Amino acid sequence: MNLSQNVPSTGRSSNAIIWIVAAGIAIVVGGIVIASLQPLFFPTVGSAEAEQVDALFRFMLAIGGMIFLLVEGVLVYSILRFRAKPGDMSDGPPIQGNTTLEFVWTIIPAVIVLVLTVYSWSVWTNTHSIKPNEQTVGAVGARFAWTFNYVVDTASLPDGVTLDQLEPAIQDDVRDDGIQLSHPQLHTWVNQPVAVSMTTQDVNHAFWIPGMRVKQDLLAGRTTEVRFTPIEAGTYRIVCAELCGAGHGAMAGQIVNTRDEAGNPVQELQGAWLIVHPDEDTYMREFFEPEARAVLFPPEDPALLGRQILASGRYPCATCHVLEDLGWAGNLGPSLNGIGDRAETRVPGQSAEEYLYESIRLPYDYLVPGYGPLMPQFNDEPTEPNYMPEEDLNAIIAYLLTQRAG
Amino acid sequence: MASVTVPLPGAIAAEGRKFKVSELLRWSVDHKIIGIQYMVTAFFFFIVGGALAMMIRWELLTPALDVMADGTAYNQLFSIHGTVMIFLWIIPMLAGFGNYLIPLMLGAKDMAFPWLNAFAFWLIPPAGVLLMLGFFVGQAEAGWTSYPPLSTLFSGDGQTLWAMSLHLLGLSSILGAINFIVTIKNMRPEGMGWFQMPLFCWAVLATSIIVVLATPFLAGALTLLLLDRVAGTAFFNPAQGGDVLLWQNVFWFYSHPAVYIMILPAFGVLSEVISIHSRKPIFGYRAIALSSLAIALVGFTVWAHHMFTSLTPELRIPFMITSMIIAVPTGIKVFSWLGTLFGGKIHFTSAMIFALGFLSMFVIGGISGVMLGSVPFDIHVHDTYFVVSHLHFVLYGGSVFGIFAGIYHWFPKITGRMLNERLGKWHFALTYVGFFFTFFPQHIVGILGMPRRVGEYAPEFQSLNVIISIASFLMGISTFILIYNVIVSLRAGKQAGANPWRALTLEWQTSSPPPAHNFTGDPVPFKNPYGYGTRAAWDYLHAQENRFGPSVDALGVEKPAPAPTPAGD
Repeated sequence: MNLSQNVPSTGRSSNAIIWIVAAGIAIVVGGIVIASLQPLFFPTVGSAEAEQVDALFRFMLAIGGMIFLLVEGVLVYSILRFRAKPGDMSDGPPIQGNTTLEFVWTIIPAVIVLVLTVYSWSVWTNTHSIKPNEQTVGAVGARFAWTFNYVVDTASLPDGVTLDQLEPAIQDDVRDDGIQLSHPQLHTWVNQPVAVSMTTQDVNHAFWIPGMRVKQDLLAGRTTEVRFTPIEAGTYRIVCAELCGAGHGAMAGQIVNTRDEAGNPVQELQGAWLIVHPDEDTYMREFFEPEARAVLFPPEDPALLGRQILASGRYPCATCHVLEDLGWAGNLGPSLNGIGDRAETRVPGQSAEEYLYESIRLPYDYLVPGYGPLMPQFNDEPTEPNYMPEEDLNAIIAYLLTQRAG
Repeated sequence: MASVTVPLPGAIAAEGRKFKVSELLRWSVDHKIIGIQYMVTAFFFFIVGGALAMMIRWELLTPALDVMADGTAYNQLFSIHGTVMIFLWIIPMLAGFGNYLIPLMLGAKDMAFPWLNAFAFWLIPPAGVLLMLGFFVGQAEAGWTSYPPLSTLFSGDGQTLWAMSLHLLGLSSILGAINFIVTIKNMRPEGMGWFQMPLFCWAVLATSIIVVLATPFLAGALTLLLLDRVAGTAFFNPAQGGDVLLWQNVFWFYSHPAVYIMILPAFGVLSEVISIHSRKPIFGYRAIALSSLAIALVGFTVWAHHMFTSLTPELRIPFMITSMIIAVPTGIKVFSWLGTLFGGKIHFTSAMIFALGFLSMFVIGGISGVMLGSVPFDIHVHDTYFVVSHLHFVLYGGSVFGIFAGIYHWFPKITGRMLNERLGKWHFALTYVGFFFTFFPQHIVGILGMPRRVGEYAPEFQSLNVIISIASFLMGISTFILIYNVIVSLRAGKQAGANPWRALTLEWQTSSPPPAHNFTGDPVPFKNPYGYGTRAAWDYLHAQENRFGPSVDALGVEKPAPAPTPAGD
């Protein structure tokens, strides 16, 4: 075999410098071009945080794009330029290394990651800091649905409502604890900073709104928080990002095809969505006041009350069950359409009420054939997870019994 | 010094006999048999894990859950896919390379503790069986990371078997690593100092240090998990005073270093293949060797970047800083390999194109890794397909491409026959295209809003998922080309001879396959394992050829008449 006769030529060094400078310019321009494509593959910029995170990403993509072009460029150039010719048995030049070069390619990446660290740090400080006048909302994750709890003091009673109009029991509740609403969706308005305080009934979940670029895990036994400020009105899907079991993928906002009262096909938002109203007035008019009135003046009829409780998303039923009356389209558990007919036929000797009562309190003992043990056990003790007071359960049963086929 | 001179009991019987497949089923203390046992077992599980991946991609062709019976069945698929690929494919496969090659590269007759070596291997098959038995008792469904309380209060009995299986695999890793450390420390031949070792040995040394220090933490976490599941303790149950973050911290304290357990030996393979197949000394030997140790060290301080969305907010920034730092030694390696290629004589062998494929894809995984290290961006893409993409770019585009390069490079040494180069190139082309279009679009689908570990997803992501699935099927098919190539070449491949790649490291300084005690007489290492392009190297290889006879001309060139005189240094 022959040894290399390659001697680095020095005569063409001025040419080489021109080429290196040209390649450097191409790499820098290329990186910037790659970074400018960023909006093409990002979700809507829905929050002030999203603007900062996206700018940070564009910067990282530009740097990353340059490194990518440099490495792939040298690689492709080497493959084309230094490929052994057929029959060439010689070796390359015995170059063992170059201390200056190695120093340079240690220092430059070190500086780059330093810059990225400082930049990321400042974005992080800005985005997760506490803002003035935050709207605080409680979020509860459960297998496999989200519930958002709004608590407001008596100063926010809907227009024309005074405390003395309320039933005495509700009056006391409101006076002690404020107005408490539950809803499957998170409502707010543009430029209103939101702080979500989160707990879980069972396993870990993660609260993620891609449009807001915020995410935070819900940890069993802890309360965690996430903050964002929406800047664009609209609807944003809320997603569970931490594996929580069989319905993990379904624990996100869904779009369900259904029909309105006139029978026209419409698309309805089901499950967890962030609804950003254009302003506070719209928020009050379209969300808060009707919901608050429903809570402050609950229907007398237990069936209507049960319907209202289920529709509020206080209990995580909608992700798993089908129930046309409420627009539920879950597929993890048995259908509830016509449950009022079937309930009394399930267990011989058990009335429909008893069956429904027991199968909500002890679901594992009442599994419908073909379905796994996924339903939470709804307890009657406030200290237990998935607490469901007796009054709620009775109202829910009364409502479910009205669900008859045909 | 090759100090083991007394023939080893298990090896005597094999002396002078032709290798039979049935030997793989027997207890053997010969490191070469054990190495092959590791590789064949691991490859079997690669097929198992790959089949699970194909089912995952089949399910994800549509947004609804329609292939698998229910969400639980789907969750079991990716839980076992991840566990198998990490613990039963990449780690044991690279341990197989280490077992086969380390004694040969050091000119030793075997590993320092041959019996322990065999024991470490034989822990793996029962562990694999335990894991698979889970499918009959309600398989684990909590992902390969198995976060409590999902893994303690909900997942099926398979989760208990999962933990027991990982216990066995962890023990196997620790025993193997102790063996590697002792072997590398004590059994180097006369004339081979630390900095004359092949870089693969440095990589295995760094890996083994990580294994010995980190794997006990996995064992600790698994023990707590097992006790919570079967003995009624509440280490992870907050209702009784436990803490779910305890698992995350201890698990990642092992599992982040485990990322380097999976990539450092592949880096070692790459250093060998790139230098040999581009006929040029490795550029910056010491930097590559020491950066492995730097990665091993810093790798212990970054674990909580896997917990950026669960960790206390105040602790996120410190872990961002350490995670960013670790990009630097990794960058040094990539640039050193480029420096090696630049100006060399690049031979387009199958081993080399896989190594080049590694370089071209690993850099993408490295860039997305730095992006993930940045807390504010990570918050958005944490637990999404962006992470799935990143980890496959480093573990498939990195480790698995490295393993493929190693297979094409060392198959002639292991079997005495060459793999078919044409099939090798087909294998590469399909794998490379399939790989890129499987994993690159996952970055985008993750950024757009698709979380990982979901069997049903928002309909707007379907078109990207269809592309991903089709590409993944192509990648799945491409693996069978390698299997076919191995089967055909074992019977009818070209005879390789001792040193088909004209390499200077010691494993080529003996016949292929090597005799039972590896070398006849004490081999003399060349002073620089990558000293290509020098007169001394030419003389060394020439003397070797005189001794072992000519090898096949595997670098794809017609063998010219022996050159009269070398041109000089």
